[in-house]
Amino acid sequence: MTMDFTDIVIVAGNYGSGKTETAVNLAAACRKTGKSVAIADLDLVNPYFRTREARIPLEAMGIQVVLPDRQYLHADLPILAPAVADILRNPSDVTILDAGGDDVGVTVLASLAAVLKDRKIRMLQVINAFRPFTGDVAGCLKIQKQIETSGKIKVTGLVSNANLMDDTSAAHIYQGYDLVKQVSAHTGLPVEFITATPQIQSQLDMNRIACPVLTIDRHMTPPWKHAGTT
Amino acid sequence: MAKVLMKGNEAIGEAAIRAGCKNYFAYPITPQSEVAEYLSKRLPEEGGVFLQGESEVAVGYMIFGAAGAGERVMTTSSSPGISLMSEALSYITAAQCPAVFVNIMRGGPGLGGILPSQGDYFQATKGGGHGDYHLLVLAPDGVQEAVEMTMQAFTLAEKYRNPVMILGDGLIGQMMEPVEFPDDLKTEPTNKDDWATNGMAHRKSDKRNLVKSLFLDPSALNNNNLVLKAKYEQMKKEEVQYELYNADTDYQVLITSYGTMSRVCRTSIDMLKSEGIETAMLRPKTLFPFPEKQVFDAAGKQSCKAVISIEMSMGQMVEDVERCVKGRRPVEFYGECGGEIPSPEKIIEIIKALL
Repeated sequence: MTMDFTDIVIVAGNYGSGKTETAVNLAAACRKTGKSVAIADLDLVNPYFRTREARIPLEAMGIQVVLPDRQYLHADLPILAPAVADILRNPSDVTILDAGGDDVGVTVLASLAAVLKDRKIRMLQVINAFRPFTGDVAGCLKIQKQIETSGKIKVTGLVSNANLMDDTSAAHIYQGYDLVKQVSAHTGLPVEFITATPQIQSQLDMNRIACPVLTIDRHMTPPWKHAGTT
Repeated sequence: MAKVLMKGNEAIGEAAIRAGCKNYFAYPITPQSEVAEYLSKRLPEEGGVFLQGESEVAVGYMIFGAAGAGERVMTTSSSPGISLMSEALSYITAAQCPAVFVNIMRGGPGLGGILPSQGDYFQATKGGGHGDYHLLVLAPDGVQEAVEMTMQAFTLAEKYRNPVMILGDGLIGQMMEPVEFPDDLKTEPTNKDDWATNGMAHRKSDKRNLVKSLFLDPSALNNNNLVLKAKYEQMKKEEVQYELYNADTDYQVLITSYGTMSRVCRTSIDMLKSEGIETAMLRPKTLFPFPEKQVFDAAGKQSCKAVISIEMSMGQMVEDVERCVKGRRPVEFYGECGGEIPSPEKIIEIIKALL
């Protein structure tokens, strides 16, 4: 099973669901299929961990990365780089927008409504079953509604990014997958893909999973892991 | 309970709920606003109250009010906000009320920046506000410990009728880690009727309680200070917590570090070990009371050539380390405090220069 994304992909979800990690890895996966790819950090909510951490490896792959101006990188101010509108007007094969968390994070999408009009948009809701407030269907639906209201845009697909970071096992991936399947059954929205690190992916029984699996390399590592030990 | 993936800030909020705290007042400030965001959703579900004050000054006194009435109460803030609360902290301590204050430190002085820092060590451990007092200060090194210490903080605050501070740098609040919550804290403060203004209706005696920090009579004021001092002495005897890392080796250098910085040092110690160089770390988990004797003993190990305090500050805890080492080994310091956290490689370079 392969993923086929074109034009605009918006990655949204509740706070801390792993939107940035998903967006960054999705960008890399799309680029590997030979498509031109751009990724923009629209996360105006959390300046601590964001796409900038992954800038260098992404640019090395030939992916266009749009971040807030350097002088504002460490500001907790709602600044949207003018370059975001530019990449939407002059699109790559795939343009990935990494939205901020919760309903607040997607309000910026409403301000881009004019440029997004008449475009083919996939709006993904990223769900990590092990995060507060999205451990059950009701919680996921509540977030979905908030996102749609604030972003003035409908969610078109679901992504399971089930993980407990280094403590993740195959059982967690299945549990997260089962949850998004239930959300899918309630909403009629497709499960676009699930995520797993290469180590976990090798342990998965693929007969149990009826959607593509996006390989995740975790870029958002804490400073004590930069040296590769714990 | 199964593990969940939480941000430090969210986990601190959930831990407060599980410790039976129904009162949380705060004013938002990066990098700790998620505590308020989380508790604004969760506390009403638990029958609790979240109220955003009009400023940190107001919040400080809202805490005093609830604490004086014998309620479990917490606030969270970050460095400049804690400065504004310092007056209330002094009052609450003088009036001997239990309360939990969380400081998720950002860079300073002034407005500084929003990235992690440990620049408030002096403020937290030496009083912070006016007068002779101390807070009991707990310093978690990750999300799991932030949970455990937050829950413990309520018990300690009630045991001593003294504010307890959780001191975490910005990364402790912002990072996500898998956590497991201990059993809910079931105990209630036992001696409330002896001191709290919690109403007369259920009381057996007619004795009225007065919560105050004003003692105009010099001997009464001196007495109150002696009572506080006795509590700090008791804390020094009973509450010291610390962790030794790689200390059963013939280490050449003893590192002292806490919080996020200690996680980096741990990586450096492991990397040095693989090169055949033994170093150890003493990580204070309580910054007040400070592990005085433990630092003295660890520094005195025969193989130990030097002690180095590594902090995200310009040199604060190092003063306590020097005080405790009592000159038996040279005490060095390395720190950065712009918000970038020194890398394991940088720490290795600093340590190698000491060998």
